[in-house]
Amino acid sequence: MKFGLFYEISVPRPWGRETEKTVYDRCLEQVKLADELGFDSVWAVEHHFLEEYSHCPAPELFLTACAMVTKKMRVGHGIVVCVPEFNHPIKIAERTAVLDILSGGRLEVGTGRSATWTELGGFRVNPDETKKTWDEIVHCLPKMWTQERYSYQGRSWSMPQRTIVPKPYQKPHPPMWVAVTSPGTEIDAAERGMGSLGLTFGGFAEQEEKVKRYRKIIRSCEPVGEFINEAVSTVNFLFCHEDDAEGVKIGKRFTGAFNYLAAQLLAAREAYPTKSYPSLGLLPSLRRDAAGPGDESGAPEGIAIGNPARLVRELKKWESVGVDRVNFLLNALETVPQEQVLNSLRLFAKEVMPHFEKKEGQKHEAAAAAAGAR
Amino acid sequence: MPPRFGTLDLNAWARMASTINGFKTEEWKLKGAEILELHLEIDDDPADALIPRTMHPAIPAYTIINVMHAPDSPVGPFSIGEVRIAGRTGVRPRGFVLRSFCDSEAARKELAARWGFPVAPADVSVSVRHDRVVGKVAVNGKTVLHAELIDRDAISGNDIQYIASMHLARNRDDQKLVLVQVDPEYTFSKAERGRPSVVTLDNDAFGADGHLRLMNPIMASFAVADVTLPKIRYICNPELPALQGTTKVAA
Repeated sequence: MKFGLFYEISVPRPWGRETEKTVYDRCLEQVKLADELGFDSVWAVEHHFLEEYSHCPAPELFLTACAMVTKKMRVGHGIVVCVPEFNHPIKIAERTAVLDILSGGRLEVGTGRSATWTELGGFRVNPDETKKTWDEIVHCLPKMWTQERYSYQGRSWSMPQRTIVPKPYQKPHPPMWVAVTSPGTEIDAAERGMGSLGLTFGGFAEQEEKVKRYRKIIRSCEPVGEFINEAVSTVNFLFCHEDDAEGVKIGKRFTGAFNYLAAQLLAAREAYPTKSYPSLGLLPSLRRDAAGPGDESGAPEGIAIGNPARLVRELKKWESVGVDRVNFLLNALETVPQEQVLNSLRLFAKEVMPHFEKKEGQKHEAAAAAAGAR
Repeated sequence: MPPRFGTLDLNAWARMASTINGFKTEEWKLKGAEILELHLEIDDDPADALIPRTMHPAIPAYTIINVMHAPDSPVGPFSIGEVRIAGRTGVRPRGFVLRSFCDSEAARKELAARWGFPVAPADVSVSVRHDRVVGKVAVNGKTVLHAELIDRDAISGNDIQYIASMHLARNRDDQKLVLVQVDPEYTFSKAERGRPSVVTLDNDAFGADGHLRLMNPIMASFAVADVTLPKIRYICNPELPALQGTTKVAA
C-alpha cells in the first residue's frame, strides 16, 4: 500500500494579507517533509469559490511548487476539472505536459467534473452536460499528449489541426485517474482503463464491493489512453500521536472542522435537479463516515486518527479490501498547529509505514529521515 | 468555529411569528399538490440579516420561492406561497421561511397552530399553462409575488430535492420564540424543470426590508406530488447555533 497527501488548502477567516500565504507555505513544508519520509505522492484539488473550505483553484501551480521542493514524490491533480468553461481542453493538455516535464515525469492526472453549484454556477456551466463533456475530454487528452498533429470536432469543443506542445515527459503519457464520488463512478473509471481516485468511502464492505466491481470491469475495458492504469486509491484523514486518546481527540477536531465546512457548500443536486448528479457528491459521504459510529475511543471506523497501532489496524483493513493507496488530508482551517502536523507525519512514517509493503531502498531512506527529524 | 452565522433581529421578527400549540401535532396528507419552486442566488452579505443565528448562510446564498396548491387537505383545498432563505442548521440544508401567505382561513389557522407557519391572508394561485407555470400572491389586490417557470421540461421526480423549512414561531405554552423544523415527505407523480423568472417580489411584504436582492437565477421546478406534512421532529432555540440549541421532539 502507498501513502500520499491530499490537499484542499483550507483557509480560515479572518483573511489577512498573510493568511493564505502562511497556509500555502505550511502545506509546502509538509510536502517537503513527507517526501523525505517516504510518502509516495501529493495530490491537490481544483476548487473555486469555496470560501474557507478550499482555496486551491490553481492546483497546477501548487503542484509545480511541490515538485520543486521534492525529489521523489509524484504530484497529482486530484482532480483537474474537465469542463471547458473551467479549463479549455488544450490548456489542460499543455499545462499537464509542462508540469510533467518540470517534475521530471512525476505527474498523475486525476480527472473530474465538479460537484457543487457554487462552482458550476460560478462558471455558468449546465450541470446536465458535465458528465458528457468530461467523457469527451478524457478521450481527447491522451491523443493531444501523444499525436504530433491534432485536430478535433466534437460535441462540446473543437479545434483545427495544430501541434500541441510540449509533450509530457512520461511516455507515452502520465497515468490517468477518475474522481470516484457518486455511486457507480468506479465503473466509469474501469470502463476507460483509468485509476479509481476515491474521494469518498463508505464502509469496508461497500469499498470491497466497489473494488471487486472495478477490477472485474477493467479487465475488459476500452482504455482512453495508451495503457491501463489499474489502481484504487481512497482518501482519509491523518493525525498520528503516541497517545491514542490525544490523537483521536485532535484528529476529531480537525475532521469535524472539515466536515462542518463541507456541509456549507451548495451541492449541485441541492440547487438544481438533474440526473447528472445522482448523489450529493464528495462531501456528504466523507462527512457521514468521519462522524459515524466507531469504538469506545470515539474514533470513527476506518479513519486514520489515533496512535500508530490503531492506524496500522485501520489501514490494514483498507488494504484487505483492495485499496492500493491512501491519500491523507492533514488539516482543516489550520485547526491543528503546524508542528503537530509535522510530528504526526514523522510518527506515521516511523511507526506505521514499516507495516506496509515498500521497496527496500525507500524503506531505509524513510526510516533515516524520520529518525533524523526527531 | 466558522463559517458565518445569521444575524436576524429576532425582536423585529417576533411580530410576524405565529403561535404554535405545542409540538405534538399529527401529520397531514395533501394529495395531488401542485408545487412551483424557484431557486435564485441572492446578494450574500445582506442575506445574513434574513436568517437567525441558528443558521449559516449557504455558499452562495440563495432564496427558495415556493407556491403550492393543495386541492385535497383535512381542511379542504388551499394554496400557499412563501419565500425562504436557504442556509444550514449545523450541517443540514434548511430554508428559513420569511413569510407565508395562504388563501384559506381554515388552513391558515391549522398551519400556524400545528407547524408554526408564519402565515398571513392573501390570494394565492398556481396556474399551469402550455409554456409556463405561474405562481402568484396578492395581498388586498396588490401582487407581492409573481414567479414563473418558463420552458417546461419533464424530469424525474427522483431528481428533485426539496429541503426542510424552519419556521420562527411563538410557543403557546411558554411564549418563547422557537424555530420549528418542518420536513415534508413527497411522492412525485410528475416533475418538470425550467427557467425561473421573478416578475414581482415585494421585499416589504415578506419582511425582508430590502435585504433580499435577487442575483443569479438557478432553476425552477414544478411537481405534482402527494405531500405529507409530518409530525414535528426537531425544534431549535433561535438565539443559539444549531449544534447547541436543537431539541428532538419526535422520532
